[in-house]
Amino acid sequence: MSDTKDKNVQKVTLQSNDNSTIVVDRIVAERSMLIKNLIEDLGDEAIASSPIPIPNVNDPVLRKVVEWCEHHRGDTLQSAEEENDNRKKTTEIEEWDQKFMQVDQEMLFEIILAANYLDIKPLLDVGCKTVANMIKGKSPEEIRKTFNITNDFTPEEEEQIRRENEWAEDR
Amino acid sequence: MAPAALSGMPAQPQRDDIDHTWTYLQSGITKIMLNLQEGVDLTTYMGIYTAVHNFCTSQKAVGFSVASNINTGAHRGAHLLGEDLYKKLSDYLTDHLNSLLVEAKSHTDETLLAFYIREWQRYTDAAKYIHHLFRYLNRHWVKREMDEGKKSIYDVYTLHLVKWRDVLFHFISEKVMSAVLKLVEKQRNGETIEYNQIKQVVESFVSLGLDETDSSKTTLDVYRYHFERPFLAATKTFYQNESKQFVAENSVVEYMKKAETRLEEEEERVKMYLHGDIAIPLKKACNQVLIADHSNLLRDEFQVLLDNDREEDMARMYNLLKRIPDGLDPLRRKFEAHVRNAGLAAVAKVASDADKLEPKVYVDALLEIHTQYQGLVERAFGNEAEFTRSLDNACREFVNRNEVCKSGSNKSPELLAKYTDTLLRKNSTGVEDDEMEKTLTQIMTVFKYIEDRDVFQKFYSRMLARRLVHSNSSSDHLETSMISKLKEACGFEYTNKLQRMFNDMQISKDLNDDYKEHVANVGAKALDSSYNILGTGFWPLAPPNTNFNPPEEVSIDCERFSRYYRNKHEGRKLTWLWQLCKGEVKANYMKNAKTPYTFQVSAYQMAILLMFNEKDKHTYEELASTTQLNAEALDPSLGVFLKAKVLIMSGSDKVGPGATFALNYDFKNKKLRINLNVGIKSETKQEEAETTKTIEEDRKLLIQSAIVRIMKARKKMKYQMLVTETITQIKHRFVPKINDIKNSIEILLDKEYLERLDDDELGYLA
Repeated sequence: MSDTKDKNVQKVTLQSNDNSTIVVDRIVAERSMLIKNLIEDLGDEAIASSPIPIPNVNDPVLRKVVEWCEHHRGDTLQSAEEENDNRKKTTEIEEWDQKFMQVDQEMLFEIILAANYLDIKPLLDVGCKTVANMIKGKSPEEIRKTFNITNDFTPEEEEQIRRENEWAEDR
Repeated sequence: MAPAALSGMPAQPQRDDIDHTWTYLQSGITKIMLNLQEGVDLTTYMGIYTAVHNFCTSQKAVGFSVASNINTGAHRGAHLLGEDLYKKLSDYLTDHLNSLLVEAKSHTDETLLAFYIREWQRYTDAAKYIHHLFRYLNRHWVKREMDEGKKSIYDVYTLHLVKWRDVLFHFISEKVMSAVLKLVEKQRNGETIEYNQIKQVVESFVSLGLDETDSSKTTLDVYRYHFERPFLAATKTFYQNESKQFVAENSVVEYMKKAETRLEEEEERVKMYLHGDIAIPLKKACNQVLIADHSNLLRDEFQVLLDNDREEDMARMYNLLKRIPDGLDPLRRKFEAHVRNAGLAAVAKVASDADKLEPKVYVDALLEIHTQYQGLVERAFGNEAEFTRSLDNACREFVNRNEVCKSGSNKSPELLAKYTDTLLRKNSTGVEDDEMEKTLTQIMTVFKYIEDRDVFQKFYSRMLARRLVHSNSSSDHLETSMISKLKEACGFEYTNKLQRMFNDMQISKDLNDDYKEHVANVGAKALDSSYNILGTGFWPLAPPNTNFNPPEEVSIDCERFSRYYRNKHEGRKLTWLWQLCKGEVKANYMKNAKTPYTFQVSAYQMAILLMFNEKDKHTYEELASTTQLNAEALDPSLGVFLKAKVLIMSGSDKVGPGATFALNYDFKNKKLRINLNVGIKSETKQEEAETTKTIEEDRKLLIQSAIVRIMKARKKMKYQMLVTETITQIKHRFVPKINDIKNSIEILLDKEYLERLDDDELGYLA
């Protein structure tokens, strides 16, 4: 109990790759498994004196990620099995997260990459579901348009893929 | 792009170049592996993690995936990069462990142990770090490989353990183990050791038990093979040698103490520094070499301990032999035989003259042995049920078949019943109720072992009848308590008659009160009399075996009561049991006595004395014809008077026809109340013989009724089956003889209750 309280109060400084810093509560930072493990390994003192460098994430993205972590600070960490069960079955996204993900496409992908890098599974899931929802119901051509992809298949290849995946199509 | 490297970490490597990346990682990993105590700074930590992440997500990987032929279907979806990294790490660990292996060869025994533990600690600490730092590899590449069922791919921490096991452990485990065993032996020899080392070795061995089918689980296989097996073997050898030597030089009792301490020590050892898994096999091994291997020696000593009452040592032996399978059976057999012999000896000691044997002495002798050995069972044998059974068997033997019972197996129940009678009879000893209650409970202890319970019942009911009729029972409370104890032991049927007798007395009391009131109301002049109404079926009493003409004074009163009773209960027949009646007469004829003497007499004696109201002298013939008593009743009554000098005889020197009896006017006695109603010795003797005779008769009836009951229920039954069934039904009363059962069956066949069928079968005829 006292442990949780400490983590609610204790501060952690994060430093983005453009050298700006963000101070967050330890419990918020520990939504990232990377940072949680780091604090576990290096100890409280190491993070008290200096900021944790996050070399792969820039300031705007880091702030966005921190915003998500702040909102979800109280969420219980799901066990691995529960996670597998619930996560894969649904593409539903809770309302706050939906609004949170209403960002331009570049930012969306940056968030997904950062979540992957920082090892924040629920955020990674929300990001991927958002992308999945963008694909859902669209034709290949529309999808290419949405994500700005050039079609590098030959017509033969495309036909073969379509045949192989016929079973999956909605009818 | 990357922030300036701190603490000597080179700048982030080129993300898609494995060699470049590995060179960068290696310097970090080496620091962690060898100098973790100096700590790792944030930048290095993040640097390594990021380098692993960047390599696994490098563009080259994506490009490679797209370029691969999609039709092969070898990898569905994106190809994950990481194999190179995994292999590099694996090779790095191999190199590191190989160098440890070289170093290990220069160590032996305790230094090897210290080395092993130190390196293991360092290695596993580093492994935890590296596991975290390579988490990205774990999450993606390793996970994918494992999901696809690849064997020999493990998460990074497990990889460390596997490498330790394969590269280092397999080559030095034996040496490490022999160092452990040497240390343990030192401790067994009384030296103080650094047992934490062993504890750590155990933990290490346990950690290496990886489940090949599921890397998230561990098994104890490695530990069992490399630690438990040699440990148990060494333990056995050690104690085999030690115990062999110890037994040769010391007494058995000393050895038991030694074994006890050793067993405790080994249990303590498990708690102190071994894995809990070894507790049971270690205990088994120790039990085998310390106890089972010497069990014959121990058992041979048991008789000596019994003979010398060495309770503590017997408890010790019990506790030791309890630990091995079937260890106690021989002890139980010896114990049983010993108790039986002790019981027989105790009886033989008091039975020098069986005829004059005091019931109390006999019962006390039985109880003493029982108490002594029950105490032993409680204190030395943990009150164990099996030992209690041996005790019971032994007691049953010596209670029913001993020196005293030689003359007849009825002797035990008879003496027990007699002892109970003396306890429950009114006496002046003034024993407290509590004390009595305790003694009665002890009686029940002996009763439990009595086989011929019907004999006890016979004697008990006779004596209870006597106590009640002569109203010399010590207390109603104790009588009830005894009856309920018997009821508890043998059931309602057994005590039914006893209870009814007891109830009759209560009812009679009320009846007398009513009768007195009735007499007062009528205003009749009456004797101060009281009457007991005894149900014929319940009391072991027979009508008098002589005629009797009661004196007029008495008969008037009796008839008035009879009328009153018949009025109250129509159709009941009253039989007067004159032989049990008694009364008091006042002797007013002595001139020289200031106060008249009071004589307590039987009804017969009263009839005789009252005749002297008419004249001072009577001939024997006159007395006989007036009282109508036969010689058997008349002679003893007169005998008592003569002995007490109430009457003086003349004309003959023997009571009988021709003698004349005169009232002694000079009668003198210190007491004013004189009890002349004294039982005559031969009478009780005769009674005993009668009791025994009725027992034999009753048994025949009991057997016959049991047979009829069984046959009525079964209709048909094999001869042999019927005999067995009859025995089971009857044995809680007495142990029937097979011959008696066979005779009873013959009788029932003659009486046509049963018929013979084919094939040795009997049928029931309704």
